[in-house]
Amino acid sequence: MRIVLAEDSTLLREGLVRLLADEGHEVVAAVPDAGQLLTAVERDRPDVVITDVRMPPDNTDDGLRAALQVRRQWPGTAVLVLSQYVEKRYAAQLLADRSDGVGYILKDRVAHVEDFLEALDRVAAGSTALDPEVVQQLLSANGNDPLHALTPREREVLHHMAQGHTNAAIAARLHVSQSAVEKHVNTIFDKLDLSHVTGYSRRILAILRYLGA
Amino acid sequence: MPTVLIRLAAVAAGIVTALVELLFLVLAGLAAAVARPRVRPVAERYALRLVAAEQRRLAIATGTPAPAPLTGSGPRVYAYLAARIVPALMAALTVGLLLVGCWLAAIVVVAVATGTMSVPDALLQVILGGALLAGNLQAILGVARLDRWLARRLLEESSREALRQRIDELAASRAEVIAAVDDERRRIERDLHDGLQQRLVTLGMLLGRARRSHDLDKTRDLLAQAHADVQRAVEEMREVAWRVYPSALTHSSLDEVLTMVAQRSTVPVKIDYTLPVRPGRRIETALYFVACEAMTNAAKHARATVITIAVGAAGTGVEMVVRDDGVGGADPDGTGLHGLARRVAALDGRFAVHSPPGDGTELRVELPCE
Repeated sequence: MRIVLAEDSTLLREGLVRLLADEGHEVVAAVPDAGQLLTAVERDRPDVVITDVRMPPDNTDDGLRAALQVRRQWPGTAVLVLSQYVEKRYAAQLLADRSDGVGYILKDRVAHVEDFLEALDRVAAGSTALDPEVVQQLLSANGNDPLHALTPREREVLHHMAQGHTNAAIAARLHVSQSAVEKHVNTIFDKLDLSHVTGYSRRILAILRYLGA
Repeated sequence: MPTVLIRLAAVAAGIVTALVELLFLVLAGLAAAVARPRVRPVAERYALRLVAAEQRRLAIATGTPAPAPLTGSGPRVYAYLAARIVPALMAALTVGLLLVGCWLAAIVVVAVATGTMSVPDALLQVILGGALLAGNLQAILGVARLDRWLARRLLEESSREALRQRIDELAASRAEVIAAVDDERRRIERDLHDGLQQRLVTLGMLLGRARRSHDLDKTRDLLAQAHADVQRAVEEMREVAWRVYPSALTHSSLDEVLTMVAQRSTVPVKIDYTLPVRPGRRIETALYFVACEAMTNAAKHARATVITIAVGAAGTGVEMVVRDDGVGGADPDGTGLHGLARRVAALDGRFAVHSPPGDGTELRVELPCE
């Protein structure tokens, strides 16, 4: 896939370029700030944008604002945002209207190369990748009663779903059959009163909405 | 009755002390005219002693507890000593009248004893004399009160004013210190996130790539790179830890620690340390931070080729001067230097930055020793 990368730390940017090249991806531009990111996206029309949140010029959430603009202006471009720490507000802004082709993960996750590449693949394929820690925070901050009605196993499945994993991926991770996962998913949607929502990406969005993201 | 006598004696003593003070002022004035700078501290010391004696005398004369001894000095002390001439003159007048009254009373007693004065006349004299005595005693005690008021007005209010100023200073420097600590923490957070964290994440990526690689040579290269990165991460980590607190100061003296830091500096550093005894830990720590910041700035921004650090005694305190031959133009209000200024101010020290564009940078720190 063709990628535009924005990260102000030279060390990390170079490392990411090499890692992505190793995996056979083409990094068409690797830039150190938000302004250059938008220029590069306009020029190169990549499949995916990977961007850090805190970047020049303001060193606040410049990267996130650029990511939101990319999503508005070029809806076909997937966006993976790397964040120094979990900020639910950022996740909520990214997921504001749709959950397809978007990811929000912790920067540290990049060190877990497999997790990072998997999240990248998921986002590029048009689905969602939310950091487990973000999901954890959403779940623990949510005091809705129906959540308490979930069994521990169902909570586990919900946790993975909210990260954006497919039923097949959840089945593999939990070492159960896919039909078992599907059964859990149906129960979860019943219990949360969301059974009318259909379609994978809309279901993920519904879950995240439910959790308050 | 004895209390009144003691108070009277104290007021009368005030006449003598005023003469002594007048003499002192004349002598001090003459001495100052001849040998100005050397005589000043000596004169002030004696002036303070005279004031302390006055305050003890006034405590007895007015029957009130003596105020805390005066520590500050200055023109107000001399003004007080000069102004004492007024209560002293009034004391001389009232005490003199008392003595005259006593003498007249003695004459009356003698006249009654020798029979030259009739008893009714004597009784009249006693009534008249008693009334005059009561008025006179009131006047003498009034002089004591005037004397006390003068001291309060000229001495204690000035020391109260000084205290208030000191409290303002302390409140301001405390707020500044808190702000400086926060700034420092923010910097450390940036150091950790922008430096160490990026390095560790990159390291994780290198190892991840090595694990995923199917080419043995490439794996070996990646591992070698990762190994070098670990060394760098360890060094960075040590530097951040040192920035948090120079723990070496617990077992080494400032010159040893500065020598250690100087060895790691990319710009050559000359250290001239002439303190005969170690100053307190707080002073060493403050000087350490100033020296480190100066070294970092000289290497990072000033493009200096040499740095000199001179630490020596100055008066009762310590003085450190850090100089470089770089491009100058350092901003004293920048986070780094401003933080140092606040740290020094919290220890009642003085901090000065002299950094004209193109002509090097000089940081001067003076700290009083506890």
